[in-house]
Amino acid sequence: MTKFTHFLRQTTAVAVLGLASALSGQALAKDLTITVWAGGTNDADIYRLDAIEMAADILSREWEIRGEDLNITVDKKRDFAGWAEFKQAVTLAAESGSAPNIVVTSHLDIAPWSQAGLIVPVEDYVDMDSWPLNNIYDNLMEITSYNGIVYGLPQDAESRPFFFWRDTMKAIGYSDEEIDALPAKVEAGEYTFANILEDGKKALEMELVQPGYGFYPRPSNGPDYAQFYQSFGGQLQDSETGKLVLDKQAMTDFYQFFADAVEAGLTRKNHIGTEWDQWYAEVASGKAAMWHGGTWHYARYTGKEGLDDFFGNIQFSLIPAGNENGRANTITHPLAYLLTAQEDEEAIEIAAQLIKIASEPRINTLHAIKSAHLGISHEQSNIELYANDRWAAEATERLLPHANAQPNHLNYGKFSEAMFKGLETAWTGTKTPAEAVAEVEAELTAVLGDDLIVR
Amino acid sequence: MRRAHLLGLGFMTPALIIVFLFFLAPVVLTAVFSFTSMSSGTGISGGAYEINEQTLRSLTDRGFPKAKSEKLGHDLYRIGEEGLGAVEADFGKAFADEIRAELSGELFEGRRDLERELKKLRSRPRSIRDLKKAADLFKRSVLNTRFESETAFLDGVGETGVELTADDQAVLVKTAYTGWSWTTANYELITSMASTWRAAKNTAFYVLLTLSFNVGFGLFLAITTFYLPKGQAAIFRAIWILPRILPPVLYVMMWKWLTWDTGFLSIFLSNFGVEPRNWMLNSDINAWVCIVLINGFVGASLGMILFSSALRAIPPSMLAASEVDGANRWQQIRHILLPQLQWPILFTTSYQTLSLLTSFDYIYLSTDGGPGRSTEVWALYTFHTALNNYGGVLQYGLGAALALVLVVIGIAASLFYLRLFKFNELVSQPRIEQ
Repeated sequence: MTKFTHFLRQTTAVAVLGLASALSGQALAKDLTITVWAGGTNDADIYRLDAIEMAADILSREWEIRGEDLNITVDKKRDFAGWAEFKQAVTLAAESGSAPNIVVTSHLDIAPWSQAGLIVPVEDYVDMDSWPLNNIYDNLMEITSYNGIVYGLPQDAESRPFFFWRDTMKAIGYSDEEIDALPAKVEAGEYTFANILEDGKKALEMELVQPGYGFYPRPSNGPDYAQFYQSFGGQLQDSETGKLVLDKQAMTDFYQFFADAVEAGLTRKNHIGTEWDQWYAEVASGKAAMWHGGTWHYARYTGKEGLDDFFGNIQFSLIPAGNENGRANTITHPLAYLLTAQEDEEAIEIAAQLIKIASEPRINTLHAIKSAHLGISHEQSNIELYANDRWAAEATERLLPHANAQPNHLNYGKFSEAMFKGLETAWTGTKTPAEAVAEVEAELTAVLGDDLIVR
Repeated sequence: MRRAHLLGLGFMTPALIIVFLFFLAPVVLTAVFSFTSMSSGTGISGGAYEINEQTLRSLTDRGFPKAKSEKLGHDLYRIGEEGLGAVEADFGKAFADEIRAELSGELFEGRRDLERELKKLRSRPRSIRDLKKAADLFKRSVLNTRFESETAFLDGVGETGVELTADDQAVLVKTAYTGWSWTTANYELITSMASTWRAAKNTAFYVLLTLSFNVGFGLFLAITTFYLPKGQAAIFRAIWILPRILPPVLYVMMWKWLTWDTGFLSIFLSNFGVEPRNWMLNSDINAWVCIVLINGFVGASLGMILFSSALRAIPPSMLAASEVDGANRWQQIRHILLPQLQWPILFTTSYQTLSLLTSFDYIYLSTDGGPGRSTEVWALYTFHTALNNYGGVLQYGLGAALALVLVVIGIAASLFYLRLFKFNELVSQPRIEQ
């Protein structure tokens, strides 16, 4: 066969195929790649991405039944160095027109990203009255809304408890009953940060823990620190005007507590920046007397860190009140599935269907239990996997009724960054708490202007 | 123009293009960005016009009449002929007729209620997205609607029946705009914030200390190895080049292993009763020592190579002659070696000043500006502001302004160095052959 005839045959084949597909029209398969990026996602949180894959399977079966062929390839990505890198990646990708279809991120991103037009409201694409969306907790749905519009679907719920290592507490004089009663005492405001300092010092003096391990906080910036501000009476947002609030007294007291903890040897001066792996290993093995973390830590402690008997070793409670001005509290910081603006309207619609299906109680339960997060909908308590999980049940009951979220505000990111910067300078002793607060005030007044109320 | 000139220009073209693309254009863009309020909240590509709860609050703050803002704050859907006509065109007559029969004249506050009513109709579109689109055709308010242009926005506002004076309109348009605007506020912020001053101080400290170490230690290494036998000198130089050829992440990780609480230094010193501590982050001084050494060893190796090769160029006869004249080592260094090193010292100093001013990679990897921002230099501060924020608030405009300050300082420093070291004289003729 000559080269020419070979070429002729090939081109004819291509032409026939092309004609066939043109004639068959809509019956042709629809191929779509849906990209999902998830921030802050470890091995235990893999269902944030896998749920979309499961949803894609269900959706294409639904299409098949309707007589249409839908092939969805889910392109999953979660290997970002940290939250900062993840958000940088998403923003820059979106600006250059190559945003992923779905992002799993903090609800705090809704305000800036919706204003910038990077994300579109979920409520424009799905029926909010239909299953399973009508079963999601209203307060969670509020957290993923901004300006009264539902922008995202809650992906998980959580809250951030305070932890005690039982053996250490026993060794400094608490009986088992007293330790069991601690959460109630914390909630009632009877066990405060003053007690933490006191108990931490005891543990240190009795050499139960090494210096720096009396109180072992989160080693990096995070919503957790807003809890301490609230513990001392701080308020994040003024409910009437919607403006952010800097309560100088509360902020000073909050910084002072960390300065005191360092002074007393309870906390390391250079604690910030400790590697997370080291941190997890230490708290899960009783090296620290008291610390704070998130409900999802349960999965890490009992999983990778190999702590077999969580409840026998660790007690958990709300974040205690700081003083008489504040209250025991905890912050819930749900992640949300958000839809990015795309040129292909149909891709957004399908992505919307996918996150809706991924919110099915049964699918979400897989994530909730595997990653030790809390459920998003009422019906999950009727699913055995969820209902029979001791951690989910106790954490929900003890923490969630007292949980509040950080405000969805355009400038909250700047506020929380300045708050943490200030804390860092007071913590490391670069400045006194009062000086640190003065700098935070000057900086926030300059940056936020009208958006800030200083008290 | 002669052909040879054209040829020369031809050879230069790629370089010119590269200079334009990778130097001039970024600097110009940075300058432009620095006069804007760009952030991840405003986006880069432009904005839209939208009235929402947040806008309504700001409007009141800015003196917009309350009665008008209240009127704008309604989310109204009215079933009227105009909307029905549009529905008929887009979704067919049957659906429009059914809506007319069931809901004509009704008013809904919010789309959700209307959607619920539409869902009860038999001839409704079966796609929820289409249903929502149909509902939107009845919208008679502007709340929560994104308008791509100012004219469309004002038309929309006009349709709601809210009458605006020229002042009202100006305030409304400014408040409702979601994109960036031109501003000099970034520069005002830079001068008024304590954190920028701290970053400036840190930068000066960092450049001065690291530079002295780089040049001083580089010189020391070059001169000492110069007097060693060839083989030994090569081994020493190879060892001192290691910091430069190691990947930065690995190099810094080794420093971390060295300085951690549980690292080599702490374990070694505990034999002498020194409490273990993090030698990198325990105090400002610890952090600075580490930063200067980490950067210094990298920089010193470059100095060492340059100085060593310059020393090699000295004719051996010169040194031999000086030895015959009875000069000792110190005199040789003072009167023969150092004078020949003037050019490489100039080069190293100016090159390293500029690169230290703008580089933050080793600091980012080691202390990330800590403890308590005490080692956060200007370039790192710029990076944190513009591109790296836990809360995702990336302030491109402010970041660009910060970066531009560095560019200006860099150019000023280059000019200063060129004058100080009499660059023209240096390039006139190689002195070694005089």
